Amino acid sequence: MALIEVSNLSFTYPERERAALVDVSLAINSGDFVVLCGKSGCGKSTLLRHFKTVLTPFGRLTGAVYFDGRLLGDVSQREQTSRIGFVLQSPENQIVTDKVWHELAFGLESLGEKAPVIRRHVAEMASFFGIQSWYEKTIYELSGGQKQLLALAAVLTMQPDVLILDEPTAQLDPIAAEDFIVTLKKINDEIGTTIIMSEHRLEGALPRADTVLVMEAGRIISHGSPSVVARDLQKQKDQMLSAMPAPMRVYLALEKSGDRETNGHVPQTVREGRVFLEKRYGVMVRETSRTQQLEEREIVEKTGSRFWTRFLTGELAKDRNSSTPLLAMKDVWFRYDREGIDIIKDLALQVFPGEFVCVVGGNGTGKSTMLGVVSGENKHYRGQVSCLGLDPRKAIGNELSDAGLAALPQDPQTLFTRATVFDNLIDVAKAYAKRRGEKRTPEQIEAEVLATCEMTETLDLIGFHPYDVSGGEQQRTGMAMALLTRPQLLLLDEPTKGMDGFFKAKFAAIIKRLCTAGMGVLMVSHDVEFCAKFADRCALFFNGNIVSEGLPRTFFSGNSFYTTAANRMARFLFAEAITAEEVVELLEGME
Amino acid sequence: MPGPEKRRLSNRTKVAAVLVILCIPLVIAINILFFEDRSYYITSFVIIALSMVPFALVFEGRKPQARELVVIAVLVALTVAGRTAFFMVPQFKPVVAMVIIAGASLGAESGFVVGALSAFVSNFIFGQGPWTPWQMFAFGIIGFIAGLLFYQLAASIGAPSRDGSMRPENASYLKWYDINRLGSNVRARRRVERLRILVLCVFSGTATFVLYGFLLDTAAVLMFTSGEFSWTGLVATYVSGIPMNAVHASATVCFLLLLAKPMIEKLERVKKKYGLLGAQA
Amino acid sequence: MIRIGREGGRKSVFAGYHPLLNFMFFGYAVSVPIFFLHPLLLIISLASALAYSIYLGGRKAALFGLGFVLPVMLLAAAFNPLFFHRGETIIYYFYYNPITLESIIYGLCNATMIGSVILWFTCYNAIMTSDKFIYLFGRLVPAMSLIIAMALRLIPRYQAQVQRIVAARRGIGFDVSTGGYLTRVRNGGEVLSVMVTWALENGIETGDSMLARGYGLPGRTAYSNYRFDSRDRLLLASFLGLMTTDLFCLVTGTLSVQYYSRFMWENIQPFASIALVCHAAVSFLPLALELREDALWRSLRSRI
Repeated sequence: MALIEVSNLSFTYPERERAALVDVSLAINSGDFVVLCGKSGCGKSTLLRHFKTVLTPFGRLTGAVYFDGRLLGDVSQREQTSRIGFVLQSPENQIVTDKVWHELAFGLESLGEKAPVIRRHVAEMASFFGIQSWYEKTIYELSGGQKQLLALAAVLTMQPDVLILDEPTAQLDPIAAEDFIVTLKKINDEIGTTIIMSEHRLEGALPRADTVLVMEAGRIISHGSPSVVARDLQKQKDQMLSAMPAPMRVYLALEKSGDRETNGHVPQTVREGRVFLEKRYGVMVRETSRTQQLEEREIVEKTGSRFWTRFLTGELAKDRNSSTPLLAMKDVWFRYDREGIDIIKDLALQVFPGEFVCVVGGNGTGKSTMLGVVSGENKHYRGQVSCLGLDPRKAIGNELSDAGLAALPQDPQTLFTRATVFDNLIDVAKAYAKRRGEKRTPEQIEAEVLATCEMTETLDLIGFHPYDVSGGEQQRTGMAMALLTRPQLLLLDEPTKGMDGFFKAKFAAIIKRLCTAGMGVLMVSHDVEFCAKFADRCALFFNGNIVSEGLPRTFFSGNSFYTTAANRMARFLFAEAITAEEVVELLEGME
Repeated sequence: MPGPEKRRLSNRTKVAAVLVILCIPLVIAINILFFEDRSYYITSFVIIALSMVPFALVFEGRKPQARELVVIAVLVALTVAGRTAFFMVPQFKPVVAMVIIAGASLGAESGFVVGALSAFVSNFIFGQGPWTPWQMFAFGIIGFIAGLLFYQLAASIGAPSRDGSMRPENASYLKWYDINRLGSNVRARRRVERLRILVLCVFSGTATFVLYGFLLDTAAVLMFTSGEFSWTGLVATYVSGIPMNAVHASATVCFLLLLAKPMIEKLERVKKKYGLLGAQA
Repeated sequence: MIRIGREGGRKSVFAGYHPLLNFMFFGYAVSVPIFFLHPLLLIISLASALAYSIYLGGRKAALFGLGFVLPVMLLAAAFNPLFFHRGETIIYYFYYNPITLESIIYGLCNATMIGSVILWFTCYNAIMTSDKFIYLFGRLVPAMSLIIAMALRLIPRYQAQVQRIVAARRGIGFDVSTGGYLTRVRNGGEVLSVMVTWALENGIETGDSMLARGYGLPGRTAYSNYRFDSRDRLLLASFLGLMTTDLFCLVTGTLSVQYYSRFMWENIQPFASIALVCHAAVSFLPLALELREDALWRSLRSRI
């Protein structure tokens, strides 16, 4: 019997016309690992929240949710609390108390368990998750990954039958996210807990799923095992296909009826993808001419950008020799205090007008610190930094921003002062008009704001409170605020965190548009796939320094681990192919 | 269900108000005037500590819901963080301003809890001492009175619906003089704005100067002279405390001018979003 | 950043005992000198409080004693004779007001009391962390205790967030430290405004997290890691024994002192000396526990 059953569930939020859920029916069996995916705002969270009464939003509802054969509403709150665990998105926000041990005990306290029972369950959980070493710590001392693990453990102490997670890895870096999903799989395998998670980073989650649910505009458009869903999406030519892991996309594009290599199973991991490619194309020899062909294709593809036209015609190289870069760092060293260790060591980096430079690298390598050096937040103690002709160390107050530097913080929520997106933007525009001494009418200012909104695709958000729009939309609002300062050099710190694939593509398009206009963009990121796809130049940051840099293609094909999934899978055939589309194209060309 | 529930709560609030506003000063006065006992300090200390019991009981007895606890905890944390941010400027603290705002938008009981707990929690950082209960009481009672004055007045001015129950959406002092009702009458609007700010400032300044200042000065005198009571000593302490209390009062007014409007707007929004409206009176 | 819960520089043994014992000890140590203003009792109290605070806080505590407690004590000692003129031994007229020997003595005693109370509180702050308080009162005032725990979790988070907001706003050209006075105040206000919105809005998810874990169900319990073990029982027994003996002897009045109109104290009776001994024993007990533990570790280390 199904543990959770949903029949014809429809739901509309108050004061909204469009339904958030439309006629959703599904059944989830005990012990399943279910991954729910779909674009931001497709109703994933809304659906998940209907699996627990206390979190169900207010609104118009038809249909029913059954838990363990009973109507969910008839299951007592106490039973729901212990049997249905719910983990939310933000590791920071969902932690309630100040101590790790107290957080672990919180749920059991609510259930009114006696101290010895709590002690035993808490001890079990702490051992299972390896929390012992930080059991007595305060929350403030934990890393983001640890916090999310704690949030999970704090729910599991109640020994739920089903664990529901709403985008639990959105705020984590890739390594912590992978660890988290591995832990979920371990719980699923070793305890048998049913897991239902919504997720947009499918590379890690999908290979572990028994069932995948795909939602679009409040409906479930596909449902089944990963292979089934992937084929289904291809048949429907749905956009969600592009969010699937690279090995799946490559396989589906090349799939022929009667494939014998995988027995109908769609490869999901790099290993499976590689085995498939080896079986089918293993004998073919890698040809360099293919790569040549690829370069040319790319030229055609990218000539839309002024940067690339100039690059290809050699104009840019000439420019570089004659013109000054927007940002030039040379032999830069930085540490927080005299006795501390160096965070930035002998760093050199340049950003030219019209260029989108991405710096990738692991956690704690000093990427964000580097941005701080550029913006003058962190003062380097050796070396030269020239940012728009100024030394950030000596720049006072707003000098750098007045010269044309804008930095978009990791968390755009740190920028919102007003109650609507529009007011936030108007504030910035007004302040800058005043500062530049421009006499401008309110209409002119409004026109500038609206133009910027169009550019950043935030026009339909302007009436909303900035906290009522999604994370990706907040990011774009922040971007619009930064753009209203009319920068020449834009610094981005991890902007794609928590964004789904479609938002990322939108975001990249905005950046490209800015670059075409001659702006330089420097971005630090964990997101290898994004950088491979969209950057003009990539650099790998490690231990306070840039260890390698180059055009995305040469850069990622030169890396063997720190590269895209498509490249890892197909590098034995074509080292230079870095996206799934390129791999497919090259392979199709071979046949 | 919500109807009688609400009425019972407001009765409890009334009982608490009576207990605190009448009984406690009475007991203090009796002790000071009629008993020649030498333990003024202990008596007053005990009274202050005990006077917080009804508030605690009312609050606990109400079994506040999770979201209400979060809002209160957030306000307490903001207040304490505000106090630490200004730790280098003596007496120039945003605490009273924050507590008044909390009382005005969340009601008297929550105002008291925010005030008292802000004092208590911040002393985990600044150090607990014999002054802790006094500070807790002083901040708490300011929040309480702010809640009584502004929240109740707001509710009574907001037009009651026909069944006699308060309309929760009217229950904020911002709606006191609903600016939109005044339409495009710009001058009337300005007058109302000015009046509103004036009322708040007068209250906050007085509350800081009189309630907080005198209470804490009294505590100091009682401690210094634990055996006896001297009017001259008390007056001398009050007089010497005037500059400090004046700084504190003006700081409160400044912070209120800066914070009142945006903070109350934000709280209103969150109350709506949380569904906290009309949770208490 | 200001750290919460001033755990002293040294790892304390007494802090490792059950919170109830910690609380009981400080309640006793603070209230006895307030209730019984006897010079000998006060001297014992001050000496033990000073010794323990210096043990726990080291040089910092000694400096605090000199820089804060001593001036407060002097002020208190001066306050009394200036405003109270009872007593028959007049030694000086100050602006037509008699300064009496009795009121000076009383002032000194009172100052000693204040000094010891303040010093005991510094020890209290080092030993009674928020955890312990929340444990002790978690059952009595569960909602408020939870608010305290939540606020303590949020404060460092907010302090860090303010830094982030300041940096972020600087990044788009709204530096808080530039411009005229009014601009700076306005910018500071904007930072606060961002902070408040952020805090309140993000709290919604915290509320959901509490609901999801059953907050609000009837019959909530309060869990803690503290256990009352045999070591605690032993200390409790000694505390109870010493404290009741002490209080009994004090209350029966054998240790009485008269300040006005002439300062007099009775010769110390054997019964009264028991009270003093007991009081000293209790007051120095935590320090003795610490010293014994130090000695133990020294001997353990020397054997290696």
